[in-house]
Amino acid sequence: MTADSEFAAVALPLLPAIARVAHALTVDDADADDLVQETFLRAYKHWRTFERGSDCKSWLSAICRNAFFEQRRRESRSTAVEDQELESLAAARLHNSARASGVDNMFSRLDLGPAIARAIEALEPRYRDVVVLVDVEDFSYEQVAEALGIPIGTVRSRLYRARRQLQEALLAFAVDAGYATASAPIRPE
Amino acid sequence: MPNRSECEAVVRQLWPYLDGAVSESQRERIVAHLEGCVNCASHFDFAQSFLDAVAAARPHLPANEVLRVRVMSALMAEGFEAQ
Ligand SMILES: [Zn+2]
Repeated sequence: MTADSEFAAVALPLLPAIARVAHALTVDDADADDLVQETFLRAYKHWRTFERGSDCKSWLSAICRNAFFEQRRRESRSTAVEDQELESLAAARLHNSARASGVDNMFSRLDLGPAIARAIEALEPRYRDVVVLVDVEDFSYEQVAEALGIPIGTVRSRLYRARRQLQEALLAFAVDAGYATASAPIRPE
Repeated sequence: MPNRSECEAVVRQLWPYLDGAVSESQRERIVAHLEGCVNCASHFDFAQSFLDAVAAARPHLPANEVLRVRVMSALMAEGFEAQ
């Protein structure tokens, strides 16, 4: 018996059972079908590692489960990337708001030092630590990830979120302080 | 007139670009776009002036706060677990 005919005789007949496993793991029918296909592709590629005489249904179920969780991890990573990119878009929107309020040169025109320090202190610690390390202490993403024992993606998410919170606070500060209507450059000492 | 979707693709990379965390090919694409797109360039300038202001605020931060973060990071690198 060739490996292929053995696979056809032992693994393929279990397709309906694996389809039910896939269906239980996923929500969407199309996702379940994709997962079944992925499971059998992997099983075929690794067929020589299947222990002859052992329970093929359990073996295939484990492959199916692993494929499902790997895929979900990949998807949550891509969601994280999307969130990070949305923070960059938010920074552009905030600039538009600043422009509309007449304070789009607030960072170059004003000494916001004390206001920035207050805004940083008001952040939740997990955001504050990351923004202080990167933007004040000049750590790289990698150095912060290593120092705090968190993934780089988490460093980025927290950093960008912290920046947005700081920008929002400072825009509110600049507008409230009346700089919006000032026509001449102001440099409070 | 710059292409809107190209503008959005470029602005989505604003923070990573300013942090020097984009690939060389992404960097070139962004630089080329910013040379021809005044509006996107103004977003990047605004964000950079924000980062400069935060860095310049260092003396206003309580020394203990800066030191606390630094010491905690050093401790955690040695395996100390906060919380
Ligand atoms: Zn543009």
